[in-house]
Amino acid sequence: MSGSLVHNLVRRLAYAFISIVGVAALVFVLLRMVPGNPVATLLGEHADNETVERISSSLGLDQPLPVQFANYVLGALHGDFGESYTLGKPVSELIGPAFLNTLWLAIAAALVAWVVGIACGLLAAIRKGTVVDRLFMGFSLLGVSLPVFMVAMLLQYLFARYLHWLPVAGITDWTGYILPAIALGWGSAGSIARLVRSSVIEVLQQDYIDTARAKGRTNTQVLVLHALRNAMLPVITLMAMQFSGLLSGAVITETIFSINGIGRLSVQAIAGRDIPLLQGTTLLCTFVIVMGNLVADLLYNVCDPRVRKGA
Amino acid sequence: MDPSQNANVTSVVEGELSLASATTSFEEPASVLRRLATDHKVAIVSTVVIVLFVLGAVFAPVLTPYQYDAINLSNRLAPPSLEHLFGTDEGGRDVLTRMLYGSRVSLVIGIVPTLLSVVLGTLIGMVAGYYGGKVDTAIMRVADIVMSFPTMLLAMVVMYTLGGGTTNVFLTMVLVGWSGVARVVRAETLKLKESEYVEAARIIGVRRARIILRHILPNCLPTIIVLFTLDIPSSILTESSLSFLGMGVQPPSASWGLMVSTGREFLYYAPWLCFAPCLAIMAIVLAFNYLGDGLRDVLDPHLQSQ
Amino acid sequence: MTHSTLEVSHLYTSFFTEHGEVRAVQDVSLAVGRGQVVGIVGESGCGKSMVARSVMGLVRKPGKIVSGRILLKGRELTSLSEQELCTIRGRDISMVFQEPMTSLNPTMRVGRQVQEVVTIHEDVPKQEARRRALEALGAVGIPEVEARYDAYPHELSGGLRQRVMIAMAMVMRPRLLIADEPTTALDATVETQIIALIKQLAETGTSVLIISHNLGVIAQLADYVYVMYAGRVVERASVLDLFDHPLHPYTRGLLGAVSSLRGQSKTLQTIPGVVPNLAHLPAGCSFAPRCDRCVARCASEQPELVTVGSGHEVRCHLAKGADAV
Repeated sequence: MSGSLVHNLVRRLAYAFISIVGVAALVFVLLRMVPGNPVATLLGEHADNETVERISSSLGLDQPLPVQFANYVLGALHGDFGESYTLGKPVSELIGPAFLNTLWLAIAAALVAWVVGIACGLLAAIRKGTVVDRLFMGFSLLGVSLPVFMVAMLLQYLFARYLHWLPVAGITDWTGYILPAIALGWGSAGSIARLVRSSVIEVLQQDYIDTARAKGRTNTQVLVLHALRNAMLPVITLMAMQFSGLLSGAVITETIFSINGIGRLSVQAIAGRDIPLLQGTTLLCTFVIVMGNLVADLLYNVCDPRVRKGA
Repeated sequence: MDPSQNANVTSVVEGELSLASATTSFEEPASVLRRLATDHKVAIVSTVVIVLFVLGAVFAPVLTPYQYDAINLSNRLAPPSLEHLFGTDEGGRDVLTRMLYGSRVSLVIGIVPTLLSVVLGTLIGMVAGYYGGKVDTAIMRVADIVMSFPTMLLAMVVMYTLGGGTTNVFLTMVLVGWSGVARVVRAETLKLKESEYVEAARIIGVRRARIILRHILPNCLPTIIVLFTLDIPSSILTESSLSFLGMGVQPPSASWGLMVSTGREFLYYAPWLCFAPCLAIMAIVLAFNYLGDGLRDVLDPHLQSQ
Repeated sequence: MTHSTLEVSHLYTSFFTEHGEVRAVQDVSLAVGRGQVVGIVGESGCGKSMVARSVMGLVRKPGKIVSGRILLKGRELTSLSEQELCTIRGRDISMVFQEPMTSLNPTMRVGRQVQEVVTIHEDVPKQEARRRALEALGAVGIPEVEARYDAYPHELSGGLRQRVMIAMAMVMRPRLLIADEPTTALDATVETQIIALIKQLAETGTSVLIISHNLGVIAQLADYVYVMYAGRVVERASVLDLFDHPLHPYTRGLLGAVSSLRGQSKTLQTIPGVVPNLAHLPAGCSFAPRCDRCVARCASEQPELVTVGSGHEVRCHLAKGADAV
């Protein structure tokens, strides 16, 4: 039994690795399809051909693409993602602190999304068909329908500019995270609320809920002790996948609130045509998403005994 | 037995089979509309909103006396008034006019690439589900890789490589969009493959391509329609986000995301620049989401909200 | 004055849907004495499960008990609050459901699901609750209880799961056990074992209300039988009386369908027609449209339940007198 579990894990890890390498290869090829020599672009019009070639070869850019990719992967496995063209520092040194900023933001946003989403979904499910249900579900659809930049700017306009309660942008202390976290978590809260609601409603119709009530459990106890765990199974998967989405999808929030995270770094990399940096940020984000999916899978396995024992 | 007669029998039996499968899951558009009208009034309102947006996009030149790119520096950042319902922008251009023209971009990008990825995803999903085995494994591995794309970043990389512009936005969205559809259609196909009428069709010797097109596709259709309706708003959101970052549609073309992005500089002096297109995005996305929700309830109660 | 364990009188339970009131149970009265096994038999949709749910206080919305009395050892249940009902369910009355596959919580170990019943109703240490759960699981014939205690429902067979359900129902030694189609989802050999188990329980003094569409199961278990049709009791008799002298045409039809399967008849006897829509019941006897002896009176006048012999009651215009049916 545990043998198959290990086997399963190894297989999943292998798939995860293939996914990461696949995306890395795609991005690698895409970035090298840009017309013109990036070195020439960087050095400007006045650089002579000799200098361009010398620097190209020192960067390994004169080698065939597969060799360049192999070198890149080998380096990446040792934590070497090359050197940023524009910032003159190793990419690994740049993405580390940026990732940490994004991580804090994602955690804060996830807290908002989970607490608000689960609470609203649960209430809507229990009060199914009432005004509360309609109101919350209307809000949750609004949540998934509002563009992030709209929520971000509305919050900025209202709480920072108009009411002066919170900082407009930038992070000096924890209060700086409040508005970006709400802006980023808003959409996730909506989709979690919808899933929690439908899941709880479905579970409450199951036969074992009747069994629990027949034992003498009160309605609240039935909900907490029997319905919730089963209802949360699909939600946990969504939550894990969304967390990695929050980590890799904060581009707009970080731009609007001037947070020096991975998303903003990527935008800077594109603006500066900084290929190694852009490659580093996409690779990191892919890694985060793949790991998120893996964790989602494993969590589901841990929480659902039917899957755990391979049934 | 005469082979032609045999073929004849096959087609008759198959005709009955497809009739049997059709009556179980396919509904007349009129009856779908009727059920939407009774149980999902919001969905009907949403349809009206969508139709209004489409009409606005098509008849933009007739509906407004202004040009979308007519610069009038003497009337910059004018607040909303009777002449300019949503005010003017930093170049003195009428915001409502630009929004009408911008809706062309947003609607086309919302619908066309989504349609392409749904068609592609359906084909791939049905093939993977029906053929199974190595074909299935290979396709699903690729879908896995696509699912692990950081969508925004990948779109940015594509835009960087190929440059901004409508076609490239299309390309990126199809590149990413097909995988989700393929997964759902594959699951559906696996289920249908086991159903009695598909088995029966296989036993009487119907060719595989024919089974897929005549028996599996029509039964996946309700699911596909729902997926299509619910994918349109997310495409619109992605386009507006890309344009907001300056990596989508390029000026002087108007797109809602682009208008929000340029309007952001004037957020505190002329908030209408930003919020008018924001409201348009919100309205159309909400409309499609409500319609999709209603359609799901009517067509496909088994499809989960995720 | 001694009370029956369960006395239901003039129970009406309805569902209030968009399309109007659906009367699932109408004017049902029944009694279960101590240690007695009483069966309710009828086609699916005849309201027999709703009787059980009404007694348990587990009628789901939009259903509701409209009127009637339900007495457990003389104590009125219909006027109790939800909280008071919670102290009775599982302790004084317990229930075994039809589907052992879906009636157990899939993410909870079966032992804990049994133990839970003890901890709900008694303030005992965990060890004691566990011991009693193990004892109950052993009593229903589950082998290797210690190991099975930590199993999840999906790891057990259907028969074992139903035994767990029964252990769960019996762990508090309730006065009344309601078994709703306890063997329908099981295969024939397991069915025999479960029937034997229920019989054994009744011998220890527990009253049993068993609900089934299967006359064979009823014949093996019950002392008294109620036949239900379209929400009403149409015949009530001791099990011997019912099988020897069925009076209601519907009961005869049911028995005919059984005996033809046993080869006593050359042709398979079935009751023509379908169960009527409970939202639009005919004015007269509900069975009239399907009845081969129907007379003019049947279509216009609802028959009353009348006593025709000792403990034998029937709801049929034609049943009274020697010339009846």
